Amino acid sequence: MTTVEQTADRAAESKAAPGWTVVVEQELRDLWLGGRGLLLSVAFSLLLSIIAYLVATNTALNFLEHRESVNLVLQVAIAVGGLLTLLAAADAVSGERERGTLESVLLSPVTRSQIAAGKVLAALSLWVASFAITVPYAWFLGRGVGIVGDALVTGVVVGTLLAVFLASLGLIVSLFAGSNRVSLSLSLFVLLALFAPTQLPSNAQQGWAGELLLRVNPLTAGEHYVGKILVSGHAWSQDLSWLASPLAAAALLATAAPILGARFMRLRGGVAT
Amino acid sequence: MNRRQRLVAVLSALSAAAALAASLAGSAGASRFSVSMSRAQTTTHLGDRFTFRSTVVNHGRTAARGLIAHLNVVGLEPSVYVDPEDWSSHRTSYLKALPPGRSATITWRLQAVSAGTFDVYVAVLPHSAIARPPTTGPAVRVAVADRRTLNSGGILPLALGVPALLGLFALAVRLRRSR
Repeated sequence: MTTVEQTADRAAESKAAPGWTVVVEQELRDLWLGGRGLLLSVAFSLLLSIIAYLVATNTALNFLEHRESVNLVLQVAIAVGGLLTLLAAADAVSGERERGTLESVLLSPVTRSQIAAGKVLAALSLWVASFAITVPYAWFLGRGVGIVGDALVTGVVVGTLLAVFLASLGLIVSLFAGSNRVSLSLSLFVLLALFAPTQLPSNAQQGWAGELLLRVNPLTAGEHYVGKILVSGHAWSQDLSWLASPLAAAALLATAAPILGARFMRLRGGVAT
Repeated sequence: MNRRQRLVAVLSALSAAAALAASLAGSAGASRFSVSMSRAQTTTHLGDRFTFRSTVVNHGRTAARGLIAHLNVVGLEPSVYVDPEDWSSHRTSYLKALPPGRSATITWRLQAVSAGTFDVYVAVLPHSAIARPPTTGPAVRVAVADRRTLNSGGILPLALGVPALLGLFALAVRLRRSR
């Protein structure tokens, strides 16, 4: 969002449209026509290309390992797509503050909660693009083992829940961060911390404490669910309880982001302000 | 030692001998069972799931307790790597106490994850036995027909094409904006 006039004009043009749609439109223009979104998408597709090439040229793969490779590509897509969404949202308020454009945004005839909601939705467009880029890779790798449909549906369900959670989290961090650097680094740190349990040895993931840790963490729970369907061939309903924490986290933070945005979206960052 | 005391001593000895015999029969009974399979061979395709049953019969005079049945997969071709865990995630079955003359049937579910010829067998061993060989059933010969699941030749156009298309699109957007 660059100027208050642009936003105000658009709001006046579409009286019927709620304010958040104007914010989303403007944010999408900045993200995609400004080139940042496309550049990130090219980098994302390069990453998937490298992984898919390494997997597909490994002739020693057995059937199960082939399913695991589809799972790997999908999990990377969800993780990196979530990362892009998180970073875009983490830049949304603190970035505008540092670029000196937040004042214009706050003066526009749109409520602050609608600004927050619009920024979250615009950040989610990066996940939509990431998933669209993933489709041909998932199709190529998964068609031989008959799991393309499962991969795409689990990917869109789990990935969207996690993207909503991460975008809302990024925006909340951005609201309170003292600077854009703090917002981005704190968001990245939280994301890495959430991914840390995936690196635990399998023994540590067993038992009630290990399972609880995996279930409570939305990222590990979502990844677990995807793996159970794609690699173990479980039915959709069999491990549905693993989606509880991604669903709860997405609902909670998506509700909290506009509420906190309405109260704490200010020209000066920091918790004390 | 009077007659009564002698009778008591003889009865005690007989009782001890009976207990020892029962104990020996019990431990020996654990090995008196057999394992049979529901089929001798099967043919399937790569990625398909298949099942077979194994039946454990207790031929002993006492109940067999603590029997453990374990499924194993052996590749018959040296070039084919086999990890039995890939074929079935439930390869161990802990059986309930098996009374004399009774049998227990276990259903094993597998997925053919590699092409080739394999032998699948079940070994049964009692929990209490130390250094005793397990009882194994006859192997089921499994022939897995290959199926092309991945066309590695087609990956290059995709791996290069998607980033190239996106890059061209990004370039076009940038050029249009700069005009």
